[in-house]
Amino acid sequence: MALEGDLEYGEYLASECTTCHQVDGSANGIPSITGWETEPFVTALHAYKAKHRDNEVMQIIANRMSDEEIAALAAHFKTLEN
Amino acid sequence: MTINRRHFLGTSAAAAAALAAPMVKADGHGKPRVVVVGGGAGGATAARYIAKDSKGEIDVTLIEPSRMYYTCFFSNLYLGGFKEIEDIGHSYGTLASGGVNVVHDWAIGVDRDAKTVTLAGGATVAYDKLILSPGIDFVEGAVEGWDLSAQNAMPHAYKAGSQSELLKAQLMAMPEGGTFAMVAPPNPYRCPPGPYERVSMVAHFLKNNNPTAKIIVADPKPKFSKMALFQEGWANNYEGMIDWIGSDFGGDNVSVDANAMTVTIDGEVTNVDVCNVIPAMKAGRIAELAGVTDGNWAPVNAIDMSTKADPDVYVLGDSSQQGDMPKSGFSANSQAKVCANAVRGALTGSRVFPAKFANTCWSLIDTNNGVKVGATYEATDEKIAKVDGFISATGESADVRKATYEESEGWYTGITTDMFG
Repeated sequence: MALEGDLEYGEYLASECTTCHQVDGSANGIPSITGWETEPFVTALHAYKAKHRDNEVMQIIANRMSDEEIAALAAHFKTLEN
Repeated sequence: MTINRRHFLGTSAAAAAALAAPMVKADGHGKPRVVVVGGGAGGATAARYIAKDSKGEIDVTLIEPSRMYYTCFFSNLYLGGFKEIEDIGHSYGTLASGGVNVVHDWAIGVDRDAKTVTLAGGATVAYDKLILSPGIDFVEGAVEGWDLSAQNAMPHAYKAGSQSELLKAQLMAMPEGGTFAMVAPPNPYRCPPGPYERVSMVAHFLKNNNPTAKIIVADPKPKFSKMALFQEGWANNYEGMIDWIGSDFGGDNVSVDANAMTVTIDGEVTNVDVCNVIPAMKAGRIAELAGVTDGNWAPVNAIDMSTKADPDVYVLGDSSQQGDMPKSGFSANSQAKVCANAVRGALTGSRVFPAKFANTCWSLIDTNNGVKVGATYEATDEKIAKVDGFISATGESADVRKATYEESEGWYTGITTDMFG
């Protein structure tokens, strides 16, 4: 499953996430997504895409992501410290 | 009204003064220049992202008259007593530290041939790319009896700040058992659920402080955003307090008298103690002055938010006519990031990625009783088109509603950090 994530594309895509999730990793009401290892990050997004996780915002955001885009995001957020 | 885009230069002494005024950013090192007009959810975000991502390769100037920006989103929560006014105020200091040249002035003219913006203070700012994100202005004469001279007696509170504080003060001063009236706006307007969240927050305040008071809403529309959710919430939490009069019942036939403090709905005159008039809206004036509007709004290309009128002028947020996205802070912020990526690519050759848009609007009905509606969007040749969406369900559990409210608080922190740094 190890797709190589495009970091620059990931940084662009991440700008959609940071409307809600905070870049510094702090969390109030919305979880931190910085500093995650690749596998749990990718697994979580696929779970939203498959509607196995139940937040509607995340379901529709993940629904239109390709595997390449999920890999790019995982690569980007892994580089951010908590 | 159509204004020639060179009109503002005219032949007057003022024009000579404008030409003689120094450039705001005249360092002459040949970097590409982006000028952003309007420091809200669209403009602040675009300025910040272009400055941050270009790493000094692009000069970014943000023109915004206010030193403190009060977000319209969450201003209803201030009315309801869930937030203090300080909680929704933001300065531009962090943006300035991040490399954005923040100029507190009004943009009063755009010359698209010379590629300059003129400021009320007399300066002229040159641009290679111009991003207009001026929010909304009100359509003159939209509500009979109301104009700007009436806005102290009958506030709109639809541009947050002093108007929000005024409406809150009037709400607090209402006599026991008094009447709060709202004149709701016609479509399209900023923040579709906003008037109805406001009704909820006013009702919350009155329930706790003035429980025999009444709320009348005159609405020119037959239905509204999240209608089933709000009406369920009003019945469950504010029973008998709110009288919503839609267009089917004369809500579209309204006039006000700010001296007499009366509202006339379909011929029936009512004395009111507070009257919140939210008139019909149009693009911020500078978009019209720039000659990029068609009717009340500025048509844009979905792929990068450039205007149909000029490929070097972009319009973000409420002022734009883009397709399916609601006019909201979230939408403006989302559009700004697509635009920033495209503008940077055009000016520096950096990679340009596909346009992706999203929006979610949270509303608070009562304590820990939040609801939301959201969608994702993509750029087509024709417009920004909806891909997928959701809305909260009626009858949700208290736990779900509390989590939704907490999520909105997290979003507020997230988006304001994303805008202002």
